[in-house]
Amino acid sequence: MNRITGKIVAIESNAYMSLVDVAAENVVFTATLLETPETVEYLKIGNLVTLLFKETEVALAKNLDGLISLRNRFSASVTHIDAGDILSAIALDFSGKKLVSVITTRAVLRLQLAVGDQVEALVKANEIALMAGHHDH
Amino acid sequence: MIIDWQPLLLTFKLASVTTAILLCIGLPFAWWLANSKMRFKPVIETLVSMPLVLPPSVLGFYLLLAFSPAYWFGQWLDRVAGLRLAFSFEGLVVASTIFSFPFLVHPIQAAFQNLPRSLTDAALVLGKSQWQIFTRVLLPNIKPALLSGTVLAFAHTLGEFGVVLMIGGNLPNQTRVASIAIYDEVESLNYAAANVYAGVLFLVSFLILLAVYWLNRRAAK
Amino acid sequence: MIQASLKKQLHGEQGEFQLALSLHVAQGEFVALFGPSGVGKTTLLRCLAGLEQPEQGSIKVRGDTWFDSSNRINLAPQQRQVGYMFQDYALFPNMTVYGNLAFALRKGADKKRVYDLLDMMDLGELQHRKPNTLSGGQKQRVALARALASEPSLLLLDEPFSALDAQIRVRMHDELLRLQKHFGLTAIIVSHDVGEVYKLASRVMLMQSGAIVQQGIPIEVFSAGQTTGKFRFTGEILAIEPMDILCSLTVLVGNQIVRVVAMPDEVAKLNVGDAVMLVSKAFNPMIIKL
Repeated sequence: MNRITGKIVAIESNAYMSLVDVAAENVVFTATLLETPETVEYLKIGNLVTLLFKETEVALAKNLDGLISLRNRFSASVTHIDAGDILSAIALDFSGKKLVSVITTRAVLRLQLAVGDQVEALVKANEIALMAGHHDH
Repeated sequence: MIIDWQPLLLTFKLASVTTAILLCIGLPFAWWLANSKMRFKPVIETLVSMPLVLPPSVLGFYLLLAFSPAYWFGQWLDRVAGLRLAFSFEGLVVASTIFSFPFLVHPIQAAFQNLPRSLTDAALVLGKSQWQIFTRVLLPNIKPALLSGTVLAFAHTLGEFGVVLMIGGNLPNQTRVASIAIYDEVESLNYAAANVYAGVLFLVSFLILLAVYWLNRRAAK
Repeated sequence: MIQASLKKQLHGEQGEFQLALSLHVAQGEFVALFGPSGVGKTTLLRCLAGLEQPEQGSIKVRGDTWFDSSNRINLAPQQRQVGYMFQDYALFPNMTVYGNLAFALRKGADKKRVYDLLDMMDLGELQHRKPNTLSGGQKQRVALARALASEPSLLLLDEPFSALDAQIRVRMHDELLRLQKHFGLTAIIVSHDVGEVYKLASRVMLMQSGAIVQQGIPIEVFSAGQTTGKFRFTGEILAIEPMDILCSLTVLVGNQIVRVVAMPDEVAKLNVGDAVMLVSKAFNPMIIKL
């Protein structure tokens, strides 16, 4: 599981769900939650939270251009590639934090990914969960 | 050579009676010591251990004074119970009991202390009385210590000399135990008789101790 | 069934503190006392059993007063007759397995109960053995059987499974739950194993320096609003297998077996038998009408 700790900077919510903006390492991440500040105590601007998202939910792009609906995108550099038959684990360095993306080995070949490459990592907002407090490792 | 067997018989009688009394008093006492949290416990433990370090003649001397009809305790005993403990077999029994007390109490107290507290707790929550716990849980689990304590006390009584000499003197059939008789025979240059008494004491002591070590080794397996 | 409130001064590793709490346990409930060591969990159990006396308070069990400091009532442990499982088993070394159980019978109780328990706990073969010839797991079963032999209505368990390895522990948990239901027992267990609490207890009380700081059903207490995942289950790991660059976990959730994918570094901290929480966002599950 990827973990990034950040501060809540904005909350937009209706009666059922919220879009929570979390600033971490100069990037603002957004998570869609089926919670509201009324149902979850720690949903307050300024609170420290940890963003959780699964490795398999991180997509990678190179030379990304144009408009995209994805809310969460950040630059990272490839530090290691562990290639399997079907899937590969790509270790990323995001402002000093270690994150992992699991994509198909076919995609690794198509993108011609190599250690040292700069890539854009993409995560859909509804794939990010929040946990109160600091749980970085 | 005619050997007087009386001193040997008297010795074994004294040791048996003393050990029996010691068991009756010493067992509950050791149990109490093991469980007591009293502030004065170290004082009591010291008193119990005194016979280990005192010269037997010191103990004998004080007991002689205490038993003497010339002093209040001796007078009181004489008046209330008609007992004259100085220079009598009864006196020897009392003195030996005090003298051998630590030999019985120490190993048994240590064994009680080594039993996990939870054994007693477990029996308590199972609804057992203190007496049931003592006889069915605690005693059976300190058997080796019980055996060594009893035997040590017995063997120690067999061999005592100083206390007996001080308060018992050398009255045939009354207080003339084997250890005194040996001294007596040597004094009168009757080495053959001394040899018999000494040999019997040596052999018996050896066999008793051997039996204890052997049994405890078997129990440890 | 139990209503207790008590106060007692304790000497812990970090100095003096006060055990001060009140406790309500319903008939047939299985409650866990959870917390670091030295916070008074064991003392609380011992006070309930009558092995220690609180300085203040009262303990009422099914309407009977076991302890009441204001009326100077303090029933002896013998009169309370709870079932108590000790951390060190406390089996009587001088008695056989059968002897340990028979000794626990109440006056006039039928010896058949001993044989029933030996049967139920699969101890028949061992009944003539002395405790020091048994393995840890076997001793544990004897200790549980003995605690039940005295027909208690309240079972107190003081970290009973902490010395066992994971597989035997899982088996003992099942056994304990089965017996608890069978005899309709109310049980209180002291534990600092999250998985154990999940598995056994219907309610957990978190204890900290002598007080109950939080209580509720285990999942709520342990994950108390910590993650926003709406799709959340706890289960027990049945198998861990490597799968290409990933790992596959087989998890028993309720009575369903599910498989989830995990990264090798996540799996490094997990063992078969561990309790885990599976969390997913409410957006992920797809729905198929049956």
